[in-house]
Amino acid sequence: MPFVSQIKRQTDYNLYSSTTPIVIDNGASNFRIGWAGENDPRVIFRNIVQRPRHKTTVGRGLAPLSIAMLFISSRLWNIFLTLVSIVWEQMDRSSEQIDHPVLITECILNPVQSRSKMAELLFETYGVPSVAFGVDAAFSYKYNQQHGICDKDGLAICPGFTTTHVIPFIDGEPVYKGCSRTNIGGYHVTDYLKQLLSLKYPHHMARFTWEKVEDLKMEHCYIATDYASEARLFQANSIYIISWTKEAEEKTRCWQLPWVPPPVEEPPSEEEIARKAAIKERQGQRLREMAEAKRSTRINELENQLRGLEFLLQQLEQVEESEIPYFLKDTGYVSRQEIETALAKASQSLRKVKGEPKGEQAEVEEKTDEKYPLVNIPDNMLTQDQLREKRRQMFLKTTSDGRQRAKQKRVEEDLERERKNQLDEQKRLENPELYLGEMRTKYKELCEKVEQRKRLKTNGNHSNGNGMSGGVGRGERLNAAQRERMRLLTTAAFDRGKGEDNFGAKDEDWQLYKLMSKDNDDDDEGPDEDETELARVSSRLQEIDPTFVPKPEPGPSQSAADMPRSRPLTKEDFQILLGVERFRCPEILFHPNLVGIDQAGLDEMAGVSMRRLSSKDQVLEERLTNSILITGGSCLYPGLSERLEAGIRMIRPCGSPISVVRALDPVLDAWRGASLYAAAVQFPQQTFSRMDYFEKGEDWLRGYQFQYTL
Amino acid sequence: MEAELINAELVLPTHFSFKRIQIYEKYPKGQPRGRWKHLKQILQAENYQNCPPDEPNYVNIESPPSMHPPLRICDITGFEAPYHDPRTNLRYANTDVFKLVRSLPNEHVQRYLALRNAAVTLK
Repeated sequence: MPFVSQIKRQTDYNLYSSTTPIVIDNGASNFRIGWAGENDPRVIFRNIVQRPRHKTTVGRGLAPLSIAMLFISSRLWNIFLTLVSIVWEQMDRSSEQIDHPVLITECILNPVQSRSKMAELLFETYGVPSVAFGVDAAFSYKYNQQHGICDKDGLAICPGFTTTHVIPFIDGEPVYKGCSRTNIGGYHVTDYLKQLLSLKYPHHMARFTWEKVEDLKMEHCYIATDYASEARLFQANSIYIISWTKEAEEKTRCWQLPWVPPPVEEPPSEEEIARKAAIKERQGQRLREMAEAKRSTRINELENQLRGLEFLLQQLEQVEESEIPYFLKDTGYVSRQEIETALAKASQSLRKVKGEPKGEQAEVEEKTDEKYPLVNIPDNMLTQDQLREKRRQMFLKTTSDGRQRAKQKRVEEDLERERKNQLDEQKRLENPELYLGEMRTKYKELCEKVEQRKRLKTNGNHSNGNGMSGGVGRGERLNAAQRERMRLLTTAAFDRGKGEDNFGAKDEDWQLYKLMSKDNDDDDEGPDEDETELARVSSRLQEIDPTFVPKPEPGPSQSAADMPRSRPLTKEDFQILLGVERFRCPEILFHPNLVGIDQAGLDEMAGVSMRRLSSKDQVLEERLTNSILITGGSCLYPGLSERLEAGIRMIRPCGSPISVVRALDPVLDAWRGASLYAAAVQFPQQTFSRMDYFEKGEDWLRGYQFQYTL
Repeated sequence: MEAELINAELVLPTHFSFKRIQIYEKYPKGQPRGRWKHLKQILQAENYQNCPPDEPNYVNIESPPSMHPPLRICDITGFEAPYHDPRTNLRYANTDVFKLVRSLPNEHVQRYLALRNAAVTLK
């Protein structure tokens, strides 16, 4: 049944005489209305109504406002009023009043209040002359009985949209004493499927509209003969049994959501590459030219300066010592010495610009003593200025000495390494096998050591990895030293103001701050040695051992785990796979506890019904189980009758005859049966008229019972 | 109201010739529409407790709780679930599912529990 149905307006209303009853099957999911005696209802539509939230917006998104328990819950009464209005309108809008008897279905043992509300509506608002109420499942059973599908003694099992009923029939009449109802039906199945899918595919939640999920349910769901083994089929698919894989795969349905592959980036053509390279080359050329030009101007400038300074010095040769300040007044220099240093500086930078090797450096270092002439002269022999100069020289000297020492050390280390390598080489040449083995064990040890260090650093102890997923607490991430510091800090924080404060009485107390301070975190320096050694060993192994593969760094592997987040979406991301869900959702009919409803399932309900009959008549019970009719929309799942038969066989004595048959048309048979009854000659005796209603009142309706025996 | 909407059959007209009492007569504008009873209220009003217990009625034909052993299935995959996670209360089928269970956000855990009516409800 499509969710949205186009209803054609009926035009032949006036052709029917006023004695022809109108038959309404007011089901939970569908509303069917038509003329008595006809085989098919005229108008069928979903029993949902959407009231516009604002007066001006109309027809926006139909919320499934099921008036499922309509006869029961009058809360939706005015919705029903509207609905019935639509129906009448669809039947014919022009007539003045509805002067036809009405047969309308209700649920079994409908409360009087609901019945009287319906009667009130039909009589007072629509002016219907007479009304009859009947049970839909009973009509369906009787219809099938007439067609020879089931016997006059039997069970009608009717899984509907919101409820499932079991009604026993004895001698063609329903026995109300033996009825049972479980509040589960197609609505729950659809809802369960919808919830499961939106939990399984949170990204596509918007796709799972009620209508779509209902379509999926009707198209793909089936009842497993044995839930556990069916589920195991799918479970095996994922783990080890290969021979079953195919079966489960065949049973998995895939719904491909619309997906457009992202545009593939074309690799740039040869021309493009060539053009880009040319552009790059041109830009580089220009930059080089600019740098060259800059360099030449700078060289020019410096050369000019040099020439000028040299000329100045030459001139100074000829000037008297006392005349010098006067002579130099215009040039901006104060003494000959200053000019000389400027000259040296200029020539040095000129050399640098010209790109000559800095041979100066070594030269300078050789004549250290010349450079720092004041260092070795005692202080008392110097003037104020000279003292300052001496201090400067001393500073320069110490730094250059330090540099010298570092260099020396580096050279020594190099030598040491060389020596070690030579030793290694020697060892290797002596006994290559042994050497290789040694190296390998060494590598392994080092690897473990480094890794343990890392683990300690990132994650306190190893054991909590599994038991506390997601809950890696603060303390677990710290290493021992950091934990100790945290402990000290917390004790210090909480001890304040407690008892006598004799902190600081001993000198050792102050050591506490040293421990607390972050500076003594030495774990950054520790692993260095090991890591360098590890790098050395692994490079050495790579050299001499062709089979050696270094362990991948933990860093890249972690980033690989993060990869899926940024990976482009593929076709598979837009697939909705229906596997276990196909039989898991309808399974709630047999196990309502799966959705938290603590009632008996379909197969058990049959047993409950027979127990309630308490007939003690073995033959009658056998007759009942020999003619079990399933009707109602939710019995359309493939495999339901087989499963039901197996389930009932389990609760029946061994060897008792069991036959489960499906109604001719589980959805429409109720209406057809009702139509048959309405067309029968005895129908007018079954109805009650408007006069009865006004005279006898609502409470009289309590005793009203439709007779199903023709 | 909007005449073109009525002609397009998008909305219902407020007046029907076949109705004896029009909806605007029954519920005049501005007046409260009356209170609709819930199923529970209706059942209470029926006073079933005064009826003889062996007479069938809407309430006592309800099925009793199931006597069969309950089917325990994995909340996430639907497989048979021999295990139960005491922290989230979810049932799970194997170690792979367990890993998934532990990585689920609490909101999803509650939604899974709500499916079988076992969610923690705060009132």
